[in-house]
Amino acid sequence: MLRHHPFLVELLTLVGLVLAPFVLGWIGASPDTVNRVLVWGLFGIGFDILFGFTGLLSFGQSAFFGTGGFFAAYILTRLGFPSVVLALVLGMVVAAVVGYLIGLIALRRTGIYFAMITVAIAEVFYFVEFNPLAEWTGGENGLPGVPTPHFHLGSLDLDFSTGWSLYQFFAVCYFIGIVVALRIVRSPVGAIFRAIRENPLRASAVGHNIHGYKLTAFVVAAAYAGFAGGMLGVLQAFMPPDAFTFGTSGQLVMQAAIGGTGTLFGPLLGAAVWLFLQDFLQSSTGLGAAWKLVLGIIFVVLVCGLRRGLIGGLDDLWGLLTGCKAKRAAAAAQAAAAPPAAAVPVATTPAAVAATPRAPAPQEPAGIILEASGLSKRYGGIVANSDIDFSVRQGELRGIIGPNGAGKSTFFKMLTCEVKPSSGKIVFDGRDITGMAVADVCQLGLTKSYQINQLFNRLTVRENLTIAALAALRGRFRLDLFRSLKRIPGLTEQVDHTLELVNLTQRPDTPVAELAYGEKRRLEVGLALATRPSLLLLDEPLAGMSPTERAETVQLLKSIGQGRTLVVIDHDMDSLFELAGQVTVLQEGKVLVEGTPEQIKSNTLVQDAYLGGVHGTLAHA
Amino acid sequence: MVNWANFLSQMFNGLVLGALLALISSGLTIIYGTLGVLNLAHGAMFMLGGYAGYVAFSYTGSFPLAVVVGTLFVMLVGVLMERGIIRYFYNRPAEDQILVTFGLGIVFVEAVRFFFGSLSKSVPPPPGLVGITNLGFMVYPTYRLALFGIVAVALLVLYLVLYRTKLGMIVRAGIEDPVMVGSLGINVYRVFMLVFGIGAAAAGFAGIVNAPVVSLAPDVGEPILVQTFVVVVIGGVGSFPGAVLGGLIAGEIISITSMFNPGYAYVMLFVAMTLVLVLRPYGLLGSASRE
Amino acid sequence: MKDHDLFSGGISRRTMLLATGAAAGASLLPSFAFAEDQPPLGTWPAGSSGDSVSIGVAVPRTGTYAVQGEDELKGWELAVEHMNTGHDLMKQFVPSLTKGLLGKEVKLLVADSAAKPNDAVQAEQRFIADNKIVLMTGSTSSAVAVALNHLADREKVLYLAGISGSNDTTGKDCVRYGFRQNFFGQTAAAAIGPVLVKAFGKNRKAAFMTPDYTYGHTVTKSVNDYLTQNAGWTQVTDQVSPLGTQDFSQYLTNIANSGAEFLINVNWGRDAVLSTQQAKQFGLLPTMNLVIPYQIPFLSKEVGADVMEGVYAATDFWWTQEDQYPLAKMFVEAFFKKYGYRPEWGAENSYVSFAHWARVVTEAGTFYPPDVIKTWEKGETMPSLLGDVHYRPEDHQCVRPVVIVRGKKPSDMKNDEDFWEVLEVVPGEGLMQAPDAFGCQLGSYT
Repeated sequence: MLRHHPFLVELLTLVGLVLAPFVLGWIGASPDTVNRVLVWGLFGIGFDILFGFTGLLSFGQSAFFGTGGFFAAYILTRLGFPSVVLALVLGMVVAAVVGYLIGLIALRRTGIYFAMITVAIAEVFYFVEFNPLAEWTGGENGLPGVPTPHFHLGSLDLDFSTGWSLYQFFAVCYFIGIVVALRIVRSPVGAIFRAIRENPLRASAVGHNIHGYKLTAFVVAAAYAGFAGGMLGVLQAFMPPDAFTFGTSGQLVMQAAIGGTGTLFGPLLGAAVWLFLQDFLQSSTGLGAAWKLVLGIIFVVLVCGLRRGLIGGLDDLWGLLTGCKAKRAAAAAQAAAAPPAAAVPVATTPAAVAATPRAPAPQEPAGIILEASGLSKRYGGIVANSDIDFSVRQGELRGIIGPNGAGKSTFFKMLTCEVKPSSGKIVFDGRDITGMAVADVCQLGLTKSYQINQLFNRLTVRENLTIAALAALRGRFRLDLFRSLKRIPGLTEQVDHTLELVNLTQRPDTPVAELAYGEKRRLEVGLALATRPSLLLLDEPLAGMSPTERAETVQLLKSIGQGRTLVVIDHDMDSLFELAGQVTVLQEGKVLVEGTPEQIKSNTLVQDAYLGGVHGTLAHA
Repeated sequence: MVNWANFLSQMFNGLVLGALLALISSGLTIIYGTLGVLNLAHGAMFMLGGYAGYVAFSYTGSFPLAVVVGTLFVMLVGVLMERGIIRYFYNRPAEDQILVTFGLGIVFVEAVRFFFGSLSKSVPPPPGLVGITNLGFMVYPTYRLALFGIVAVALLVLYLVLYRTKLGMIVRAGIEDPVMVGSLGINVYRVFMLVFGIGAAAAGFAGIVNAPVVSLAPDVGEPILVQTFVVVVIGGVGSFPGAVLGGLIAGEIISITSMFNPGYAYVMLFVAMTLVLVLRPYGLLGSASRE
Repeated sequence: MKDHDLFSGGISRRTMLLATGAAAGASLLPSFAFAEDQPPLGTWPAGSSGDSVSIGVAVPRTGTYAVQGEDELKGWELAVEHMNTGHDLMKQFVPSLTKGLLGKEVKLLVADSAAKPNDAVQAEQRFIADNKIVLMTGSTSSAVAVALNHLADREKVLYLAGISGSNDTTGKDCVRYGFRQNFFGQTAAAAIGPVLVKAFGKNRKAAFMTPDYTYGHTVTKSVNDYLTQNAGWTQVTDQVSPLGTQDFSQYLTNIANSGAEFLINVNWGRDAVLSTQQAKQFGLLPTMNLVIPYQIPFLSKEVGADVMEGVYAATDFWWTQEDQYPLAKMFVEAFFKKYGYRPEWGAENSYVSFAHWARVVTEAGTFYPPDVIKTWEKGETMPSLLGDVHYRPEDHQCVRPVVIVRGKKPSDMKNDEDFWEVLEVVPGEGLMQAPDAFGCQLGSYT
């Protein structure tokens, strides 16, 4: 629906903000509370980009809220800076710069570790505000006397002092904030934010510099926090030291959780509910000091009961009432049943050639694209790979077999630089890639599909492929925060081609979670393909498939193999021998033998080692 | 202010504070290491231990009994919390677990305020440990000296549980490789319940034995929680030895810095944490297995 | 008649226009009722045009200062009850009092500030917007008092400080709309200094424990300046600890090694309780003499009488003064009857400052803030629980006595709240700095 009306959300927000004073004023809400909700709402937009979209839970946003707020308040009150708006913007810039520096440290770790580090960092800011910087920040007294904005536009004198008049100014700020945020989340960068939330490992493997994007999200969140901090000072004519406390961060997180994350509007809703409850419990219930206990219990119940906050809850309720969910599930089931029939014809069409690899197929097939020499990997005392020499020619389709524990997956991980070899050297396309980052290697045209699906689970098939294709089209890092996805030349074509290639044209808008297993496996290969690799490593693409699915997938791989170089690991030797021109056998972390399928089949070493003496089986095959 | 006797005394202060932090952090870190749940109510557990012990003490007048009651009560709270709420969160994002424990922490603190008021409560040390002891280079409160011993014993017990029992083996294996333990046919959920109980009990125990030093108030656990985070980050998440080492380092940093400029004690603590993160991202004794 | 018709026609059209803009109309109409020389100001006249007026209280009920906050709150509740019922004690302050103030019932609105300036400002802003309060109050720390001072001046709503010991509240952060009844760092130091010198002589060595924020630093400086300049004492160490410190062992160790004879503890709230208890654990007490320049309500109850024995403190009020002062007796009795314990000075300050406000409002005959302030600034003598006092027009500080107390031996206590023995009631006049010494500049009335 939203896709059809590109500015619908913006429009609705605008209407809502214009109507709010009339509606809320009529029901008796105080403008100060509404203004406060806007401050928290704007603060929350940045936090939602960081947490709801990028998946980074920070308990340290108070540091930037306070930094921006105090910077703006300081230049306004102590230096007599003339423009409130400009002061707020400067506060935002300072908060963003501080956010960048802090991000460099905090983003060294992810998940819960990251959360703990942000808590600790925010505590430092609080101490610093209170102690070494007390001369500038007023210590525990904060900075009183922050002015409100007023503008002279020719003869017009606009003064936004208190109540609903200040609301107008705040509403404009919020509107700009939401418009900018919407642009960001709809941009390629926004898509990659989601990819990082869903699966950082894969986001990196398809060629995105996820550290850079995380830092971007962190800085964006800090900027929003800084601006909102300044607004708090304006709202109260006083910049309070408590802006820096853990309580501020905690309240932000709780409001976002109550409202629902990943929608940008959740924090606003959460703040409205929170502030209303706080007022209501204190003034209308006679609970006394127990109000906070009740609020705490309400919060715990909400977190337990609503997985995606109030907005998520409303969404589910809506789905339940309209039966929309059920319909979609039914459609999904139908679609899941359909593809196998269509699979074989599509996979065999020459359409597969359309998505050309970024390094066009070579003229001289003998050229070596990948060469690994003396590759070893040791984990403590355990040797996973030792002294492997391995090379692949351009245009080749190579198979790798070996019993469990032969070190095949570790070997692949070293080739794509996911794992650093203990010794040895890898040369890809004439370049030494040993020790490079996995995203860089992918950018050079070498990537792999995973043995265990590494997909972006809560996103649709098309979104998944878009994320991979973006890496090929935009490089490892690019700050096109305000560019629409639609304006990226070649993106739609490449995604459509990949959909065809892996035979998922019927299901582009299905969320990954609703796909059948075979479809997920094809998408797994599709993600790798969408990066336009010149060398594609496939780690057990047939694993877990039924015989029919295998047959189809083998056809699929054959068509993919046209004009590409593939290396495939698999246990299914029948399939592999059918596919591969050359086969390498690994055993106990070493190369046992290499040759054509016929040579391998008849090799006694292989028969002894690999098949444990079950002679004849291969001959029959 | 910097003289030899003072320096030694401060080193000793750091040791006592550090041991206490080590004990509380161990609880946090084994829960996280095994269950993957960061318990933000851990500070509240510390506080609950103190109050449960205080109630036992006011009825019986016996400090050892207060310690037992405080520890067991918090263990029970931990087990109930795991069975009643946390286990429904294993399949939800880590963020939800953080949020729910954060909320529970608030509920515990405010519930205690509701029942006991805000006026602080003190539990006197046991009769033999009142007063001060002259150590030659300094005089030191007798109970604080004893506290170091008590906490050291508690850490030893925790060590024995973790390294000398079957449960401990499973816990440590789980920290190393959570997937593997699940596939061993062990009743993981019973282990989770026990670990949550033990982790909580460590905080509860610390809460009651610390009560004669720092009198009880509903908010007593809040600053502890943040310091515990720092300890865990320094030591390495999920590592028991890391928590002990991190605790001692944190205690010494706070004490030694306050000798020069107390205002910077906590800033220095966080600086140290940052340094560790830059030089050893997984903490001093941590490994990459848990993130 | 003709003219009148003409005008009324015009007005009715205008009124119709106004009616469409509902909010604007509502706020404009009442202003017509009053004379042009008093245009609407802050919550006036909206807040006092009905048959009741509201007072907004933002006081800590959770967090570290909740103990003191609840005590203060009881003082305000009692004062409001006495205003509405025409209680005899309130009549001592407002002789013409019947029931209610200027014929209006007084209502108390309460919010939890958790001792955080932000929460306090947030709550009071809401009370101003929603309830049109005519007076606000609440603070257990000067950070909140300073924040609310500035809010008062901006919103043109009177503010009475709760507990606030910083010189700044009626010093550099003073405002036209703020008044403070209680004692503060400067007067505490000036009152307790001579008592200490008289009791212990000259050239002594003192260690200070200072909480690391403006209040702490100003009190420490005031006390130290007095002792060093007038009696040759030396400050051997000043241990500055962050707000909310729980383990004071590092600071106490430094003090133990400093050779001090006196421990002057400026910490407040829970910090004071913990630092004092731990000083005892470290054996610093009773070896050193403990001095509490700014007494903390409930400190003795929390720390224990044995620790507080012989401790010198300066305070605003102590309940045993009921024996000397009839008003104090009435207050303690009324308070004890209602709440079951004897009031601390937080409650006393709450009650008295409200009573003073009621007196001034009654005298001014209006709630119009500039008139109330100007009446207050006449500086007339008015009663307090400890005899007559007056407010200085220059900085809005009440000139009131400071009470010096010493901790009783537990065996001398007549009941379980009989912690302090009153040594001296130092008249306020001689304790005060010059009105401009701390940089006070009051703002405009409107």
